[in-house]
Amino acid sequence: MKTAGVDQRELQGGCPLWLIDRPGPAILSAKLWIRGGSAADPTGQRGRSQLLAGVLSRGCGRLSGEALADLVEGRGAGLRCEAAEDGTLISLKCASDDADLLLPLILQMVSSPWLVEDQITLERQLNLQTLQRQKEDPFQVAHDQLRHQLYGDGPYGHDPLGVEAELAQLGREELQQCTQQLGQGGAVLVLAGQLPEQPERLLLEGLGGQGWSTQAPVRHPGALGLKRRSLASKLDDTEQLVLMLGTTTGPLGSEQALALRLLHCHLGIGMSSRLFVALREEHGLAYDVGVHYPARLGDAPFVFHLSSSSDRAKEASQELLNEWLRLLEEPISEEQLQLAKAKFRGQEALGRQTCSQIADRHALVLGHGLPFDFADRCLIEAETLTPEDLHQAAKALLQQPCLSLCGPDDAIKVAETVWNQHPLNRA
Amino acid sequence: MVETQGFLSLSGLNTTPLPEPQRGQLANGTTLVQLDLPNAPVVCLDFWCRAGSGVEGPDESGLAHFLEHMVFKGSRTLQAGEFDLRIEALGGNSNAATGFDDVHYHVLIPPEACGEALELLTDLVLQPRLDARDFDMERQVVLEELAQSEDQPEEVAFQQLLKQSCLNHAYGLPILGAREALLEHTPEAMAAFHGRHYRADRCCLSVAGPLAALELDALLSNSALAGLKPSQRDVRPVPLHFEPGEERLELPRLEAARLLMAWPLPGAADQMSVVGGDLITTLLAEGRRSRLVERLREQLRLVESVDLDLNVLESGCLVLLEAVCEPEQLSAVRAEINAVLLALLQESPSEAEVDRARRLVGNGYRFSLEAPSAVAAMVGNSALWGREHNLQAPLDWLNEWDGRRLVQELVPQLQPQRAFVLEAVPA
Repeated sequence: MKTAGVDQRELQGGCPLWLIDRPGPAILSAKLWIRGGSAADPTGQRGRSQLLAGVLSRGCGRLSGEALADLVEGRGAGLRCEAAEDGTLISLKCASDDADLLLPLILQMVSSPWLVEDQITLERQLNLQTLQRQKEDPFQVAHDQLRHQLYGDGPYGHDPLGVEAELAQLGREELQQCTQQLGQGGAVLVLAGQLPEQPERLLLEGLGGQGWSTQAPVRHPGALGLKRRSLASKLDDTEQLVLMLGTTTGPLGSEQALALRLLHCHLGIGMSSRLFVALREEHGLAYDVGVHYPARLGDAPFVFHLSSSSDRAKEASQELLNEWLRLLEEPISEEQLQLAKAKFRGQEALGRQTCSQIADRHALVLGHGLPFDFADRCLIEAETLTPEDLHQAAKALLQQPCLSLCGPDDAIKVAETVWNQHPLNRA
Repeated sequence: MVETQGFLSLSGLNTTPLPEPQRGQLANGTTLVQLDLPNAPVVCLDFWCRAGSGVEGPDESGLAHFLEHMVFKGSRTLQAGEFDLRIEALGGNSNAATGFDDVHYHVLIPPEACGEALELLTDLVLQPRLDARDFDMERQVVLEELAQSEDQPEEVAFQQLLKQSCLNHAYGLPILGAREALLEHTPEAMAAFHGRHYRADRCCLSVAGPLAALELDALLSNSALAGLKPSQRDVRPVPLHFEPGEERLELPRLEAARLLMAWPLPGAADQMSVVGGDLITTLLAEGRRSRLVERLREQLRLVESVDLDLNVLESGCLVLLEAVCEPEQLSAVRAEINAVLLALLQESPSEAEVDRARRLVGNGYRFSLEAPSAVAAMVGNSALWGREHNLQAPLDWLNEWDGRRLVQELVPQLQPQRAFVLEAVPA
């Protein structure tokens, strides 16, 4: 399908290049999505992808880390490298007039990073400190615990930052190996904004006439969930009890993923959403309540989250479990579905406001091996779904959820009792 | 002026002229400001009122923020939840935020539904129902919000920093309010607060997005805005009395130590100082090559992170520093920060260093103009406080600062002896 203002090319070496022309604000956003994030960390080396991502901008090609930072910051630009579960993302945002200077950095970073020992040590130390500090946040603690319940020690089982003991052992050798593998699983580069005249020339600059070797990402099965019901609790001396209730579902673009996305809209998007109304408006049980359902190449998590004062633990856990059970027992109404579809359309429009958002969304979809117009196709397909379709998806994918609790002892005991007696735990 | 031109031609970001805000006033004195962004996919409606926590009386702790919650519980014409339902069914979303100085309520909506959304928003905000049962329920939600923030030790530390340094000023008190006070509030007291502060001359409606075909003017003069009465007396923000000092705090659940510092700067009305403040905080702490990040994180490796933010406030801006480190490094971190600040006082930064900061600030500003919500918030807040500059002005003001002027006017205000310093360590 050909879209106005969109051009598809291929860089020497095989990297697909998508150009989305948005003249006007004189901004350029570039996103390089490389298949293979933290889910590809080998056993014993968990944290490798994120460590490498952090080190990529600490020297590459002819530029030392300092020179690179000078160049990027000196043009007032932003450059970020981060590993997520399924991919490593390099993002550049700059004034379009600075594209000549800055675009060449992207492929240099992935093809010839310096990997200086001293800079690796620094980056590793920072990641270890961040992992430690994250434990201050009871939501993070509950989330880490749930992740382990859902994925065990599988590819999605750890924070992209890594596992402390393994991250502490990582050095230059492991990163070198990881660099050689960068791009082997496929990659895609998306530019959105006011485009330079010869993007290919700029992108290949400084690669010594060699392209960066990769290919378009293809569809292939990602990491799996355990699909085993469990309860886990972590004591913490907090005011509130954090509850996370979730299971693992399927990949972005899989058969029932769109139905689940509409359920997500119904349950967790906006102040008219089911969980917000049921738990916050009708019971005043929480300030923050919602659904977490990220796009994944493998079995994506689908999670309800809530935090409530420990003296209301009983009511909060009952209501949360009831809402999940309701999904399995009855379809949502036609009216609720229409609202969910309106939210889905609204989310799409709201997610296309800036060059970065547009580049980001397309890079994600293409990185998953899905077609460029995937989001538009989903908008059309969503219109055909019925309440029964959503109910079937819930029954197929949301059985046997896991409950993760973090909070004070008495609240946990109460919530555990509710869980043990609830039909959801006995179904 | 020659210097200004030189910067403009260098910056690469000034190829397209920035749109001009269109200003107006209703017959009753309510301020209106509109900004046309022809390519944006959505319109942002942003209602602003000078009714932040700063105008609360002694018995009104937390009332401004609690009212912001209650507004969404319906109006004379809208049932509780009806606003959210209708806005979200139109593909839009809404939210609100209460600050020390002001509160704002905003809606993002597809252009074709803008008229309806305008009517809904103004009805909702200006004629809240404040039903007694809803009031009790929403109080629970606010208490949950308070509990959630108390479970984040970092937030507790920042609250202490402001409490100790801003003494009895509103900036030293929590926006969420004190628990005991929240338990005492009544719908009647809240109605009185609303009636006192939501007045024509204290409100502003800002609209940004594709406005060409909308003909909002007629709608605005027929909206609930036109029924607002002017204030009985003018309430101006009370000047900030800031007390330098220091404090050490042991906090449970803290994993890493924090060094927090606060400095006062002139209030938001002094736009030139605000721009200078942006520039100096960026020069000091944005990016690897900024002074503090380079020294403390990259070279000495004493911190996991160091951030410095300018909080733009009416009674007096606050510059807040946060360094995250191991408890045993606190004194070294503090000594190094002091040394960096002192060094800046003794020698002007080079033109290249100032230019780097200028580009980062200028680009950040330009980038933010891509999203209608950021634009509406920016022009709405300015108009609320009677600042009528166009969007280009801040970029011009940036050019009036150079290294020497920063050192003469701003750096002396950011010296250690002028700060309140709080060391927070794990209990």
